[in-house]
Amino acid sequence: MVATPEVGPPGVGHPEAEFQTQDLLLNVGPQHPSTHGVFRMVLQVDGEVVRDVIPYIGYLHRGAEKLCETMDYRQGIGFMDRTEYLAAFNAELSYVMAVEKLAEIEVPERAQWIRMILCEMNRLSSHFMFMGAFGIDVGVFATPFIYAWKEREQLIDLFEEVSGDRMMYAYFRPGGLAWDVPANFKQRVREVLESTKVGIKDFDGLLTTNEIFRARTQGVGYISAEDAIDWGMSGPSIRASGVNIDVRKDEPYMFYDQIDFNVPTRTEGDVYARYACRMDEMWESVRIIEQCLEKMPDYGPIMPEKMPRMLRTPPGEVYLRTEAPRGEYGIYLVSEGGNRPYRLKVRSACLSNLQALKDMSVGHYMADAIIVLGSIDIVLSEVDR
Amino acid sequence: MTNENTEAAAPEELDLSGTIWAEVDRVLSGVTARPEPGALDLIVHIPPDEVIMGLRRLKTDEALDFNYLRSLTAVDLEEDGMDVVYHLFSTNTKQNLTVKTRLDNDNLAVDTATTVWRAANWLERETAEMFGIRFNGHPDPRTLLMPEDMTDTFPLRKAHPLAEIEILQGEGMGYPEEGE
Repeated sequence: MVATPEVGPPGVGHPEAEFQTQDLLLNVGPQHPSTHGVFRMVLQVDGEVVRDVIPYIGYLHRGAEKLCETMDYRQGIGFMDRTEYLAAFNAELSYVMAVEKLAEIEVPERAQWIRMILCEMNRLSSHFMFMGAFGIDVGVFATPFIYAWKEREQLIDLFEEVSGDRMMYAYFRPGGLAWDVPANFKQRVREVLESTKVGIKDFDGLLTTNEIFRARTQGVGYISAEDAIDWGMSGPSIRASGVNIDVRKDEPYMFYDQIDFNVPTRTEGDVYARYACRMDEMWESVRIIEQCLEKMPDYGPIMPEKMPRMLRTPPGEVYLRTEAPRGEYGIYLVSEGGNRPYRLKVRSACLSNLQALKDMSVGHYMADAIIVLGSIDIVLSEVDR
Repeated sequence: MTNENTEAAAPEELDLSGTIWAEVDRVLSGVTARPEPGALDLIVHIPPDEVIMGLRRLKTDEALDFNYLRSLTAVDLEEDGMDVVYHLFSTNTKQNLTVKTRLDNDNLAVDTATTVWRAANWLERETAEMFGIRFNGHPDPRTLLMPEDMTDTFPLRKAHPLAEIEILQGEGMGYPEEGE
């Protein structure tokens, strides 16, 4: 586990030689609970202080982009689920919207409202997952994890009622939805939302104002707005540094322009700010869902009337991005005509966020490097694709 | 340099109203740049030897201010070479721009964009190992997603078959040859 670096022993006879310390290389992962998946980093530590971080990724690389080139548009949806498995609705959404834009398909209004509700609920479930796992990183042991799991379970039950699956939904289709939602959809969403609100409040009480939690997270893992932009970070991780970018506001897709919501930002740029941004975002998501429920029509088509049996797109290319829980999830789709992508590239928010890990953790204690990693909320399956 | 004479006729035929082409054209004066016809969003083509200069100008210009590299990737066009595609964004003006550069199959190399945005670091490493494109001057030219010793096969090239990956990974892991 511990290897000596190649710096070698200090020269004998040098006046400062006796006081020189030796840096250690410490391997973390790939099979380690605090790395949130299969992620490996080599920390160069001077005593307890991190001097350098070398991340290694690629353990979960499955070649999803290449596989999508061999499958038709409908088959590609499943691969998108498996990239961002904690927020699969959001991942599907980018993909189907890219296909729709290229093929010039108009999506029925009701289908769009349902998509919005599901995506925001998925954001809630994903942030609950973050809160629970982050609590463990910080050292609050199982309490927040179980609390988060309880709330997330309710949301996932609802997703299962709608799509038939707990995590890999494959429910969105180019043009609309695979099938209609159950008749009691609105009522169920309201029920789940009530329990979610209680859950968020619980978390606020457990962590946000907890003095030990604050002492552990405030002032740790700072990244400035300029650096965050330069590294291409996105999502709550960049908004915690005071950069107000959110695709839902910048380029409203679906009906986000008809909804009244705020984009929570912070200026501290530390681990606590990234946590707090997500916490505020959860309240905003609740607000968005409540407005969507008001505006969503009870009846109406969920697919356009004329959809071809085999979807073909004209030649062209499109870059489409949406705001997933971890940041900007982009799909770059190149078509040569025909029923499959010529090239499909997934722009992973986590990959860009992870690049900044070194900047955030150098100079901190080793235990803090773990919570810095936790605070950017990576999904390795999205990083590696 | 040749922008005014040879390329100036083409943009006027395209309908670029409502896009930021006029601004981009102003910033890229002196760089051979032309917009792609028929694209859904504005796409600017710049030859590989000038692309980094062009990108740096797009970043440093105060009006356009493309300070955010969102995505960097490549597209294999088989006999036509390869396109390296840069997706830019400005966090201040919220504008988007796509820049492309066409590489020849004989010389799959372009200067690194890490000198413009640090975000290009991993994205270029990934593009290099997947397509076999060399990014000159890259500070950390290791593989990113692929095994360290897998530097001679480029999985995202069109010429690379899906099943061959398994054959290359080790004997006995690939599919049996026909007739065996």
